[in-house]
Amino acid sequence: MEFNHVHKSKKRVDVYEKVTGRAKYGADMRFPDMLYAQTLYTKYPYAEIKNIDLDKAKKQTDVEAIITAEDVPNNKFGVIIENQQVLAEDKSLFIGDGIAVVAAKTAKAAARALELIDVEYKELEGIYDPLKARKERSQLIHEENESNQVIHHPLRKGNIKQGFLESDVIIKREYDTPFIEQSYIEPEAVVAVPYQENSTITVYGSIQNPFATQGAVASVLKEKLNKIRIVQNHMGGSFGGKDEVVSSMAARAAILALKTKKPVRLVNTRDQSIKESYKRHPYKMKYKIGATHDGQLKAMQIEAVADSGAYACQTPFVTWRSVVQATGPYEVANVKTDTYGFYTNNIYTGAMRGYGSPQVIFAQESLMDELAEELDMDPVELRLKNIYHNNSITASGQKLDSHQVSLEEVLIKAVEKSDFIEKYNRYKKEQTGDKKRGIGLSISFRGCSLGAEAIDAAGIILSLKKDGSVNLYSGLAENGQGLKTVYCQIAGEILGLDIDRINFMEVDTLISPDSGSTVASRATLIGGNAVKKAANNLKNRIKKFIAESYEQTEDDIVLKDGKIYGKKSIEIMSIAKMSSMAAMEGVCLTSYGWYVSPEISWDEEIGQGNPYFTYVYGCQVAEVEVDIKTGEINVLKMTAAHDVGRAINPANVKGQIYGGVMMGLGYGIMEELKTNQGYIQNTNFDEYLIPTVKDMPDIDPIIVENPDPDGPFGAKSIGEPTLELGAAAIANAVANAADKRIRSLPINLEQIIVGRKLSKGGGQK
Amino acid sequence: MQKVKVSLTVNRKKYNLEVDPDERLLDSLRDRLHLTGVKEGCSIGECGACTVIIDGKAVNSCMVYTFQIDGSHVLTVEGLEIDGRLDPLQLSFIEHQAVQCGFCTPGMLMSAKALLNKNPNPDKEAIKTAIEGNLCRCTGYQQIIEAIEAVVKKDGSE
Amino acid sequence: MIEFEALKPQNLKEALAVLKERGIDIKLLAGGTDLLVEINNNSDRLGNFKYLMDISSIKGLDEIENEKKHLIIGALCTHTQIIESKLIEGNFPILVRGAKTIGSTQIRNRGTIGGNISNGSPAADLITPLLALKSSVILKSKNKKRELPLQDFITGPYKTDRKEDEILTKIKIPKINSDYQSSFQKVKRRQAVAISRINLAVVTDIKEKRFNDIRIAFGSATPTAIRFLKMEKKLKQTQINELNFDSIVEQTGQEMVEIAGERWSTPYKKPVVGNLLIRALQEIIREVQ
Repeated sequence: MEFNHVHKSKKRVDVYEKVTGRAKYGADMRFPDMLYAQTLYTKYPYAEIKNIDLDKAKKQTDVEAIITAEDVPNNKFGVIIENQQVLAEDKSLFIGDGIAVVAAKTAKAAARALELIDVEYKELEGIYDPLKARKERSQLIHEENESNQVIHHPLRKGNIKQGFLESDVIIKREYDTPFIEQSYIEPEAVVAVPYQENSTITVYGSIQNPFATQGAVASVLKEKLNKIRIVQNHMGGSFGGKDEVVSSMAARAAILALKTKKPVRLVNTRDQSIKESYKRHPYKMKYKIGATHDGQLKAMQIEAVADSGAYACQTPFVTWRSVVQATGPYEVANVKTDTYGFYTNNIYTGAMRGYGSPQVIFAQESLMDELAEELDMDPVELRLKNIYHNNSITASGQKLDSHQVSLEEVLIKAVEKSDFIEKYNRYKKEQTGDKKRGIGLSISFRGCSLGAEAIDAAGIILSLKKDGSVNLYSGLAENGQGLKTVYCQIAGEILGLDIDRINFMEVDTLISPDSGSTVASRATLIGGNAVKKAANNLKNRIKKFIAESYEQTEDDIVLKDGKIYGKKSIEIMSIAKMSSMAAMEGVCLTSYGWYVSPEISWDEEIGQGNPYFTYVYGCQVAEVEVDIKTGEINVLKMTAAHDVGRAINPANVKGQIYGGVMMGLGYGIMEELKTNQGYIQNTNFDEYLIPTVKDMPDIDPIIVENPDPDGPFGAKSIGEPTLELGAAAIANAVANAADKRIRSLPINLEQIIVGRKLSKGGGQK
Repeated sequence: MQKVKVSLTVNRKKYNLEVDPDERLLDSLRDRLHLTGVKEGCSIGECGACTVIIDGKAVNSCMVYTFQIDGSHVLTVEGLEIDGRLDPLQLSFIEHQAVQCGFCTPGMLMSAKALLNKNPNPDKEAIKTAIEGNLCRCTGYQQIIEAIEAVVKKDGSE
Repeated sequence: MIEFEALKPQNLKEALAVLKERGIDIKLLAGGTDLLVEINNNSDRLGNFKYLMDISSIKGLDEIENEKKHLIIGALCTHTQIIESKLIEGNFPILVRGAKTIGSTQIRNRGTIGGNISNGSPAADLITPLLALKSSVILKSKNKKRELPLQDFITGPYKTDRKEDEILTKIKIPKINSDYQSSFQKVKRRQAVAISRINLAVVTDIKEKRFNDIRIAFGSATPTAIRFLKMEKKLKQTQINELNFDSIVEQTGQEMVEIAGERWSTPYKKPVVGNLLIRALQEIIREVQ
């Protein structure tokens, strides 16, 4: 199928501002009389706040206001469970809880004032291990609850006992993953401006989900939604991380702005960001798998325990995705999966690219290789024997019959391109020298969009101006992933316009349709469909107008290259001319597109149903070199095959693959938030390591396209699939190289040499 | 704190400033001269988002106090464009999809610019060394390297 | 909050005069790549100071003097200058190797050899090679000049013997003849911009197939970077073809523990220091053969 605008690597629409330094991010915003705010954080992770003395601080020069929990109209918010404190009230529950926020004329004055605030604490003994928090009669993190359990998702299929009885080989393994920091290069930033136009408060900033933040601010301020306006600036990356933490910051800044009647800027330093913003959930996982001698999987029993930290945040949904996907993309007749989230006094955890999948994929793909070894099969063989195909039934009982199940395709393509079989067998043999090479693979299936988490709908407004130019209003936001460009391409394809005629407007809750959050790799799939609807609505109106005015039949009319063509492909007029004429005739040139995802179903009690309406499939192969004398790992090559349905913008898809592979590499070998008794030990990039350009392997992206009947032009998702596979592929490659099976991330120097992680342990920072 | 008088040339314009001793070049550029293209990512010289060129050398502006560089010439991302014409590096970044969220982009461009000013014909390893101190979380670096290599090739063929 | 006044002496003489009067309240600033991080982090190591004296623009302190028996490197020489210096590459390539692994290009353009030494980090990538090269430092005060071995200048982790009225001005390295080989090893957690997990500098000459004047310095393995004198003694006069790898690994680890005691990182560092030494020796042997 030939396209003019989609399926083309069009240049991104927002690049010009970004390469010239003109693009304004949250911290670049300036307003007259703007005040600088800074948060005083708790000294202890878990402590009673006995007294806060603001007297000295208030008297400090240039200080205009200081707020504490007392000044917050409604101090608890949360999308799923409303227990996240904006500011610590009776107790601090984790090290990033704020006690007070100062607004002053200069940043320095605010910093000085913070030093003058006297807080009296009663340090308490907290719980820092979810397995401890789980025990009956352990102390309650949230006293209003009956236990520290945030959520439990069960999944039952078939008969697990029977399944193990039918197995010839049974293995049990435990895997664990750490707290991970999203590490967007731009720290969180908001500016709250009071009484702009008709809004009580307008908050500008680095806000991933403007509508979620709008809801949070309205709820905290006890204000109506139509009085709270959120405007998303250019965002310096988010990866899921600028949701609740930014909502909390927005609320704090808003309260100060209303109190001082001046704009208030609240921007985190990197240290503050790492200390207070939520992380990826650490998981402790127990897997038991049974198979026949010839490799057919019979039974899987899985338990995954997530550390929710101090607040519920997104834990119920993150662990839900895990329960759906924990077995991996394999046909298993008997499955018993339980995923849990427990409160602790650690830093709270929430959304991060992948959202409950990277953890279980690390476990399940490592496990498959371990099983293959037990069965004396190679990793490809075992997987081919068990992977889903069209009409397979998943662990949750869903029949995969609505789209092309391309697991075999991505697996074979990646395996062939990377020379996997030959290398795997070669590297398995004795290698001379200190540097051992290895190759490993991992595969996944991923449910697209929100599934059973929430109503899945999005809206788009297209406004064709009298001169033929277009404004596009979207509720879903650009995080840097290229959403603006893709939407313009889709609209452009349908309306026959080049993307530089389409102006994608900043997400502004004033006008943009509430489309839920820009998460779950749903923007192209759901939002893109909304763009399609809006564009088609507009196109149909244009066709009707032309047909009536120029004696044409609607079916003959084509919009292409900025022009309108009719019978016998004769050019009628330019779209620009048509727009002015249509406007004069009273034709409505603004159209709305609202798309609701196909139905899904989920039975909470037994974990059965059709949790997602479509899936994507991916396979990554990692080739590594392990220095067995120092423990250093060099990832030489990553081959990544991803079925995206259709690549609306192939260069963008490649960009997502490169970026996702690097994030997966970081997860695999170097990233780890080190915590000790609730304190965070590495609060900046000197000690929380993310990959540099020199850590980049040779990356070979393979874009696979099996157009999805429900996707716009067949497109579905790419954002998260690219990152969730890397760590597992690397773990398998390390096992192939050095005969060391590491079941805990990151696979660092000490784990290779000593066989376990080493830590300073004991004491506070 | 007693202010210090400093004279700087920034993006080819001369400025006479009075700065606090602990005012970093980053702060002077962003807050006094409104050059917000220079970004703050970590404050400790690890991420490179604040990279500018001082007297021909790429430097983290968060690691320099302005009072230290009296008389110096500073180039920021805003100074790459001359009379409305984008620098070949800027054009190449656009062409090669080397920009996603864009936050690391100004720093990347300055590191690349400093490299090409010093060594017009760097190999891939030299390019990587020039930007090893510029962290990017979005792009995975590949397209950034391609963008810089393309400028090198273009210059070479002319 | 850390507050200070700025001092910017025009020349060394002025700087030393001010230090004589108020040295106790003054912190020296050169490249800033360590100090500004400490100030940002409100580090305990800073102590109290009233003035920050910037010496980075003092002329003449970044020169490299080529004397007959020594190379003398100005303390303000940046890591980039070291990397690009033909004199240093020709005489002490190990110093270039070490400098190349420090930070990033931006850091190397500002960071100085004097700063790397004065910061006194056990992981400093120039200190280890300088120790193996038997370097000494020259300190100047208003009326005095003194020279002392680098090993004596570093008195503890992040501690030096610099007196409050002194400035470290030069690093003096005795030249070595062409019989000498060197090897620099660095273990890191990622490929760039990484602090040494362990680093090692070996400088030696080989006479009649035996290690002769062998110097072995480890960084990041003990409280300060230090030469492993026992291993030097053991390997001196050892035949290069008769190395007992297992015993070298064991004894190197043992010497580390003797110096540093058992720490949480010992299970990792103990085998690895020995592994690195073997690697360095093998590299040197390959060069010679």
